[in-house]
Amino acid sequence: MARRAGLSYGLFAFLALAVLLALPLWVGPYGVRLAAVIFMWAALAGSWNLLAGYAGAVDLGPVVYHGIGAFATAALMMRAGLPFLVSVALAGGVAAAIAFAIGTPTLRLRGAYFAIGTLALAESAKQLALAWDRLTGIPLTGGSAGISLPLSAGYLPFYYLMLAVMTCVTITAFWLERSRFGYGLRAIGENDRLAEASGVDIHALKRRVYMASALFIAWTGGIEGYWLSYINAAEAFGTAITFQMVVMALLGGLGTPFGPLLGAAFLTLASEFLGTRFVYHYLIGIGLIIVIIPLFMPAGLAGVIRLVKRGRPLTA
Amino acid sequence: MTLLECRGVTKAFGSLVALKGVDLILEEGEILGIIGPNGAGKSTLFNAIAGLVPLTAGSVHYRGRRISGLPPHTVCRLGIAKTFQIPQLFPRLTVLENVMIGALYGGGEGLGKARGEAAGWLGFVGLTDKGGLPAATLTVSERRRLDLARVLATGATVLLLDENMAGLTQKEMEGTLSLLRAVRERGKSLIVIEHVMRAIVGIADRALVLNYGERIAEGRPREVMQDPTVVKAYLGEAYA
Repeated sequence: MARRAGLSYGLFAFLALAVLLALPLWVGPYGVRLAAVIFMWAALAGSWNLLAGYAGAVDLGPVVYHGIGAFATAALMMRAGLPFLVSVALAGGVAAAIAFAIGTPTLRLRGAYFAIGTLALAESAKQLALAWDRLTGIPLTGGSAGISLPLSAGYLPFYYLMLAVMTCVTITAFWLERSRFGYGLRAIGENDRLAEASGVDIHALKRRVYMASALFIAWTGGIEGYWLSYINAAEAFGTAITFQMVVMALLGGLGTPFGPLLGAAFLTLASEFLGTRFVYHYLIGIGLIIVIIPLFMPAGLAGVIRLVKRGRPLTA
Repeated sequence: MTLLECRGVTKAFGSLVALKGVDLILEEGEILGIIGPNGAGKSTLFNAIAGLVPLTAGSVHYRGRRISGLPPHTVCRLGIAKTFQIPQLFPRLTVLENVMIGALYGGGEGLGKARGEAAGWLGFVGLTDKGGLPAATLTVSERRRLDLARVLATGATVLLLDENMAGLTQKEMEGTLSLLRAVRERGKSLIVIEHVMRAIVGIADRALVLNYGERIAEGRPREVMQDPTVVKAYLGEAYA
């Protein structure tokens, strides 16, 4: 039965991907841009979900890799003269390498200590990025003024790039649902002491998924930077991005492959809809939504869909 | 042949010395019972052997190789696995998946083989019909059996069982005793912490008594229990 459910899920995902690939044929520029923004947030929230949803480690500093991705891509394009796609790909590698170095000590922290540690780390990274040019004499981040990138070609490539990253993240989450590695991660998330007593190398597994998450986040940051053709450290390393990732993943459903996608789509569309109608007060509405959904649907939007499908409550 | 050896194992938590130079030897195929009053250091000794707490002094050896200082997952993969005094589980994984974790990571097996192996051990402890349920739904006695199945699935040769019979009814206890004898017949060696004296007498080849972190007696279970030092430690001066 689990296999049949997996098959129908796969078929659904395949059809959805086909529709999304063809979407720009029917939808105008506004719709395509909006969809690209949704994919971007889905990729970010989905990357956060890989670590938090499966290994149970609440990272409040994922934005570090967003900033690194954006500035590394810009530097590789403008200093090394590499093509955009090569720069983004390499920036992901840079982020993964930094994640290895940062993750090795920080992932040993547990629970709230890991959350606080990573939050502090993200703030330090932001300050470092803001002061980088002045401190090192190597122009990279442009200080508080930020840097401009060469103007990009239209919006369509970004639609497909964001779709590609989101697809990578979702496939990874799917793989975690049914692989040996995924079982190890879930064991860590459920009971890390028992996991290590059962032979799970908890630090190695957590670090591997942390690096994968950093890679995807950096790709997203790099693509976004080129899309907007302007980045500054205060925003690219800003906690607002972290918290939006967290909120979207929680609203959608933690530890599910499609949850972060649903959360990203729902919150982006809600902001767009309310924002155009209630220009000054829409944030109040968004705040209410963020409070009400977890209150009445603790398993998130994905939990509700699963509930409807099964017709009975999930055992927590 | 000596499988496991503790030499002068000492563990201090700040000024509290939980273990003071404990020596212990486990022979192949043996069942060693560990008894002692609450706070004697029994569970700390298990955690020290399993690598879950670092030693203050002393060393632990497995098949002649020093294992103290190794991380817990390495100790488990080498072949020493423990159950927990308060039975531990992965609450939202199914009962079968709980056991699979042991086979996947302790036994280093692939998914297909681990699933088969886990199903086998679930049958062995009599939990086959619960395999598909989330582990959080199990009763205490079922949790203890699940804990045992998970440990067996790691493929360990030395099993450290921490009060596997606490809180069980007489009938359940007898079930567990025959289960443990069957485990031994499969070539495992066991160290068993137990408060229930009848259980120790019924199963252990040898018993070791701890009190305030020190070994105060060792020998055949029945004789150890007559030992005046042991009686004093449990019941006080008047009964010794």
